[in-house]
Amino acid sequence: MQAASSGYKATLVAGLVALAACQGEVEEEVSSEAAAVATELPPIEVADGDGLPAVLPADLVWETNDTDPTFASPDAKRGGTFRTFMLTFPLTIRRVGPDSNGSFAGPLRYNQLSPVTFHPNTRRPIPSLATHWAYGPDGRSLYYRLNPKARWSDGVPVTADDFVFAVKFMRSKEIVAPWYSNYYTERIRDAKRYDDHTIGIQGADPKPLPEMHYEYAFGPVPRHFHEPRLTADWVQATNWEIEPNTGPYQISKIDKGKAIEMSRKADWWANDERYARHRFNPDKIRYRVIREMNVAYQHYVKGELDTFGLVLPLYWHEKAKGTEYDAGYIAKYWFYNDLPVPSAGMFLNTDNPILADARVRFGLAHAMNFDRVIETVLRGDYDRLPTFQLGFGDYDNRSIAAREFDIDKANAYFDDAGFAERGGDGIRVRDGQRLSLRVTYGAPHHTERLVILREEARKAGVELELQLLDGSSAFKTMQEKKHEIAWMSWSSQGLSPRYWEHFHSANAGKPQTNNLANHASPEMDELIMSFRASSDLEERIALAHRLEQMVHDAGVVIPTFQVPYTREGAWRWVHLPEWLGTRTTGSLFNPHRLSAGIFSSGGLFWIDEAERERTLKAMDEGEAFEPTTVMNTDYRAE
Amino acid sequence: MIGKDLALNPLTLKQWQRFKSIRRGYWSAIALVVALLLSAGAELLVNSRALVVSYQGEWHFPTYGDFIPGRTFGLDYDYETNYRDLKRTFSGQGAGDWVLMPPVPYDAFENDLKVGVYPPYAPSITSRHFLGTDTTGRDIVARLVYGFRLAFAFAAILLACNFAIGIAVGCAMGFWGGAFDLLFQRVIEILNNVPFLYVIMIVASVIVPGFWTLMAVMVFFGWTGMTWYMRTSTYKEKSREYVLAVRALGASSTRQIASHIIPNTISVIVTFIPFSIASGITALTAIDYLGFGLPPPTPSWGELLSQGTRHLESPWIGGSVVVAMVLVLLMVTYVGEAVREAFDPKQFTYYE
Repeated sequence: MQAASSGYKATLVAGLVALAACQGEVEEEVSSEAAAVATELPPIEVADGDGLPAVLPADLVWETNDTDPTFASPDAKRGGTFRTFMLTFPLTIRRVGPDSNGSFAGPLRYNQLSPVTFHPNTRRPIPSLATHWAYGPDGRSLYYRLNPKARWSDGVPVTADDFVFAVKFMRSKEIVAPWYSNYYTERIRDAKRYDDHTIGIQGADPKPLPEMHYEYAFGPVPRHFHEPRLTADWVQATNWEIEPNTGPYQISKIDKGKAIEMSRKADWWANDERYARHRFNPDKIRYRVIREMNVAYQHYVKGELDTFGLVLPLYWHEKAKGTEYDAGYIAKYWFYNDLPVPSAGMFLNTDNPILADARVRFGLAHAMNFDRVIETVLRGDYDRLPTFQLGFGDYDNRSIAAREFDIDKANAYFDDAGFAERGGDGIRVRDGQRLSLRVTYGAPHHTERLVILREEARKAGVELELQLLDGSSAFKTMQEKKHEIAWMSWSSQGLSPRYWEHFHSANAGKPQTNNLANHASPEMDELIMSFRASSDLEERIALAHRLEQMVHDAGVVIPTFQVPYTREGAWRWVHLPEWLGTRTTGSLFNPHRLSAGIFSSGGLFWIDEAERERTLKAMDEGEAFEPTTVMNTDYRAE
Repeated sequence: MIGKDLALNPLTLKQWQRFKSIRRGYWSAIALVVALLLSAGAELLVNSRALVVSYQGEWHFPTYGDFIPGRTFGLDYDYETNYRDLKRTFSGQGAGDWVLMPPVPYDAFENDLKVGVYPPYAPSITSRHFLGTDTTGRDIVARLVYGFRLAFAFAAILLACNFAIGIAVGCAMGFWGGAFDLLFQRVIEILNNVPFLYVIMIVASVIVPGFWTLMAVMVFFGWTGMTWYMRTSTYKEKSREYVLAVRALGASSTRQIASHIIPNTISVIVTFIPFSIASGITALTAIDYLGFGLPPPTPSWGELLSQGTRHLESPWIGGSVVVAMVLVLLMVTYVGEAVREAFDPKQFTYYE
């Protein structure tokens, strides 16, 4: 490990030296710029057809949101230390560049705010760095008025220059971040400063209104910090430099290889902002390195970590037992949320001659006994996913129910498709071809789910051949469309479902696309294109409902499971609001998440140090409290 | 010299006597043979299909052959009959129909799941899961028995392939020597230095390794083991007078090797057989344990072992397979020791 990383550094240094040597001019430019930090930035280069107007359009309609309900508890007390863990120590604390996408990227990025964020219950935009926003008439630009109170952690005000600089910074070669450079060139076309607190951002394509914040808005980069450093040496020089940020926490101590401590800014500029009040309560967050999950669990049971994730059935049912729970020292929370659900399914490759027949696809769906899997190996903890995409509020088509396990229906469909005969092993045959289909998957712990499906499916005369591959080669096989049935899951985020990548004929029959079913239908193509083009919310919702129904009717995806909740354990001294969390809470004890994740749902809990003392004393004296297991179904979907 | 008919040869008889006199090796050999015979007929002992069904005066023997749909026995489905349920139904009806199930009425694939209780289930005499079930409710006895049969077959075929190639190449190296010998020495050294487990992992990540692909990979790296021994033995035998004599009589190279040299190196070959079997079984179990072996749901000891280590709170999973594995490997090793001793020309050997 050590040798490998130093070897990597050596090549990196060599590369940078070469870069510096052949680009002497760039060097010079950088140093002259460094001397001129305070001056105005030159405008961003734009391609033909792109570019924001030189003067702020007069007819913009400025919006804000100071009326949605708040969701933090006024009872929250500031103070205490929240102790948690990470599995590996980060290789750098830079937010971009080589090795920056590691375990600590989350805490760093959550504290770099963007102009707006989304309300965790209403899903509407709410102010963050900006107080007001407006949409440009071209359908792809956004204007923001920044909060004049906004400050970097070193006290420097956040200005429009920091946004313009962000584009320049992300596009620069010095940061060695090709993904970002590409994104800020291809997707972000322009950024302009109108005055110190007014900016414009232009994206590549028109998008529906609120979604533009998600697609195109980006956070500022502290110009005063990075501009002087932005030389060929940037990657090395900023590895362990603490970058100014705008969020509530900043790194206060780095114990290399062991721990990182973040401290709450006492005079954080947003302390009294409507949606930030009573949140981000612990004074300190201590991340220590514990390299193994089971070991971390032991630390937690000893009280050295304040909370622990218990989503997996094994943890919730088997491990989370014993005195600490029975005596009420640790509380268990089971909290249902309503987030975009990962699209987990069996994707049927319609290029396969057997699966090209819709009757076979329907029969297959009716031959899958998901309920039995849920009832047994999943301990009743998971839910059946009724349809491909779910968890986008009004966009959800809740009238669709998944095809249920029904051998008679499956038999009828298979008979109808010509697979009427059964071979000696009980598997159906059509013209000498067995009804045997290969399921490609990449998660070894899913084998136990698949073996049950396989045994049950035999009753309907269909054989599933299980092909377990290593995770990345499984995905590669699917991307190359070499699968028959792909057992996998797409992560979902954003504000509305996506259809183009999964079902448009432009992506069918081609490698390296996400249309795993190779589904192509002219009718659907048309609807998908209208869905993409429309910026009218009502219309989009109606189209999404129709599209979802079409996906169901085509039967090219058999939706599998969903886990619409989080389960966590926390010591007595960690308090939550009465309502525990919000509609979009992914984790009850995330201390951050003001804006990097799309919904601003984190930082609602608080720590009571006096309670900690009391609990530890009670444990010493063998005194017990009421055991606490809370289940909250406020946001459980029908 | 050893004649063509091995059974009558006094030397062979003597070796057999010596083998028999080593009690633990002898009894281990008997136990192993019995286990193998039983596992060969495992369908009659451990199976979800009934041995005999008597329905309306007609007898059915479902064990081997095509599946019998439930409708044959008056049930309302077309898929394979659940004979355990059928037995219950028949005894409830009292119409003179009956079902005779094997001692362990489960096969290695079916998930015997109960609603409201979650697998793995502990061993139980009443449910006839004598060693309990694994995490998906499959009977452990069935997984062990069928896994044993598969592992042993794998090891035996692997041995045959490895020995065929290894002996041929080893003999040729020793017999011809010179450039051929040098070339193959280098080839073998190279093959020996390729980390075989990594190759398996790479192969398994690209394709699903089946029985024969795994075999091919393992033979590709495994045949080298025998070559060194055969090479030395052949070198030694080649210069002996009896070989010189047959050569003087005009025997071809093939004849010299096949009819004269190999029979005289037989003790080397025979001695290695049991240990090669043991290493074949362990190798298959190891790669299955790591998840790079035979595809699920193939019954396999390695897969059981990995379940066992993940579910230490259900000790019957890991316990069963560890005990079975230790027993089999121990017996194979005892047999191996006894064979080595029986074939040792020296009467007294001290093992270090």
